[in-house]
Amino acid sequence: MSLEPETENTIREDVPDRPRGYVVGSAPDSIEREIGHDDFDPVGTLVLIFGYFLILVVMWVFMYFVEFLGRGMTVIG
Amino acid sequence: MEIHAYEKFWLGAALLLIVGFIATVSYGAIGAGVEMIDDDGGTVDPQNLDQHPKFSDPGVYKSGPNEYDVYVIAKQFLFQPGTSEPIRVPANSTVTFHVTSADVIHGFEVVGTNANTMAIPGQISTFTVEVDGPQEYGLLCNEYCGSAHHAMEGTMKVVPEDEFNASATAGGA
Ligand SMILES: [Cu+2]
Repeated sequence: MSLEPETENTIREDVPDRPRGYVVGSAPDSIEREIGHDDFDPVGTLVLIFGYFLILVVMWVFMYFVEFLGRGMTVIG
Repeated sequence: MEIHAYEKFWLGAALLLIVGFIATVSYGAIGAGVEMIDDDGGTVDPQNLDQHPKFSDPGVYKSGPNEYDVYVIAKQFLFQPGTSEPIRVPANSTVTFHVTSADVIHGFEVVGTNANTMAIPGQISTFTVEVDGPQEYGLLCNEYCGSAHHAMEGTMKVVPEDEFNASATAGGA
């Protein structure tokens, strides 16, 4: 007894190009489009990282120049 | 090894950020003149502060044109001067604090400013600040020093120059 259905009537007649054992929603097992190393451009990730970088810079400038140096009576000697 | 163009950008930006951090701190030290408090103040015998030329009568001393020395003793649980009488300094002057402790380690902090040091028995913590216009500051101890540590506070009054001079000639400083 095998788990995989083997009888002819389990394969739907109206979708003829589905192979045996096909899982609904699975990715195609063949390469759709081949791209080179630098052709992969995750722009969204870049924007996210750039935004994070910008927050770091702004927070550092605020912390050092406004919160620290702007606090008055800084030790100078 | 192949590095993606975006990764190169991110690595470069991260390095630039580190250079920027170092540059701002260097600017603080060279441009803004921010100093660290070290052991330049020297030592003192905490048991015999009454024999010290200045700590025997702590308070504000004029040390030059528009320059003042302030000697403060921290002890459980007060600043002398500061707690029972405020430290009075004139506006727009250069003030050098000399802070020490008569018993245990205390803190000396002018609240809301970067004027802040430890008060260590036997050690004089010396630091100079530039005082702006007239204002009243709080003082507090920020090192746990005993049961009434939370109540150890004081006042520092920056008063207009003419008012300070008037009170100085009247006998108090
Ligand atoms: Cu304390």
